[in-house]
Amino acid sequence: MAKREPAGLRRPNDPPVLILTSLAGGPKHGHALAKDIEEFAGVSLGPGTLYGAITRLEERGLIEPLRTEDRRQPYRITASGSAALAGVVADMRQIAHVGASRLGLSLGRLA
Amino acid sequence: MLRWYPSAWRERYGEELVVLLEDQDQPPSLRVKLSLVRGGLRERLHESGLAGTQRPPDERARTGALLVLCAWTAFVLAGASFSKASEHFAQALPVSSRAAPRGAFDTVAALGLIGGTLVALGAIAAIPAFVQFVRAGGWSLIRRHVFRAIILSAVTACGVVPLSVWAHHLNELQRNGGDGLYSASFIAWALLVAGTLAQWTAAGVVAARRIDFTRRILRLEARLSVAVTGTMVVATAATALWWAAMAKGAPWFLHGTAMGTSPSPFSFQLSLTMALMLVAVLVAAYGVVRVARSWTGLILT
Repeated sequence: MAKREPAGLRRPNDPPVLILTSLAGGPKHGHALAKDIEEFAGVSLGPGTLYGAITRLEERGLIEPLRTEDRRQPYRITASGSAALAGVVADMRQIAHVGASRLGLSLGRLA
Repeated sequence: MLRWYPSAWRERYGEELVVLLEDQDQPPSLRVKLSLVRGGLRERLHESGLAGTQRPPDERARTGALLVLCAWTAFVLAGASFSKASEHFAQALPVSSRAAPRGAFDTVAALGLIGGTLVALGAIAAIPAFVQFVRAGGWSLIRRHVFRAIILSAVTACGVVPLSVWAHHLNELQRNGGDGLYSASFIAWALLVAGTLAQWTAAGVVAARRIDFTRRILRLEARLSVAVTGTMVVATAATALWWAAMAKGAPWFLHGTAMGTSPSPFSFQLSLTMALMLVAVLVAAYGVVRVARSWTGLILT
């Protein structure tokens, strides 16, 4: 199991992890982020939580702002952010493999 | 709703957060409003260095130590309340029952003295850096707070003599609630004392947050803050022991009533005192955690 990321990412459903996952699919602004996260994770982030996580991620250099479009501020994931997310995804895959093998399931059946 | 957020944060993210709220199809729900309140308070904690690890270790250690100072001020007020509530307690107990409450009371008194000495040592250690800060033009940043503290101190001091003369002409029953006007005046004066202490603490915090302390001084302040917190923890335990001993030996004393009446150990004043002590201990403990988490950074450079 990989050690806790120095970027401070913890559980798979932490808002920073959800935001990085969403941005891994392309730059987005706040509203698009919230909608995408709700679709793939079923988690509805309040605006305070969303922007708290965006602030921390930007402070740590894991995301960066792009040019403002019509008052909307899109963000994209940085190389550091991709590396941090890859670490979390590797941890999640490990847990999924162990859980599936102990349940006698193949990963394809988990849904 | 964005007023919950610090101004620097609003300048950076405020506009896009407003657009996010506008993009919702409906007015902000209670859940959204609460999310904004929590988010705003969290950003204020981050900005002040009270939360998060993004600030340098010097700043986190300084913030932690200042939290302990604020907690100590609250603890002193609680201690004063305990002192008032425990006046002449030994006389209410038979000689054979005095050892435990006497021991607990003496422990609280001794720890108050030790804690006060440690806080004074911390203040003395900060003097050279404070003098440098004032010489470099820092006085203008703190003079408003210092003047307020001086004015409050003067008003409080002016109340001491008349209140003492008045008390001298009253009997014990009148001094302890029997005379409504005296009680109200005493409470008003006690609030002035609390306000004065709080204002001096605020002036100290405002100054300390701007002073450029050396790592050596910050490490000393960190150690002192841990020690002060320790005295507060033990003093709180000793206060609880005193209360338990009095509740067993002379519960009527806790209500200021005649012997043999009021067997209930509950005392509103003591409950408030203990609650204030516990809050102070929790705040100080949080400050010590901030200090501890910055310790490696403080000693590595």
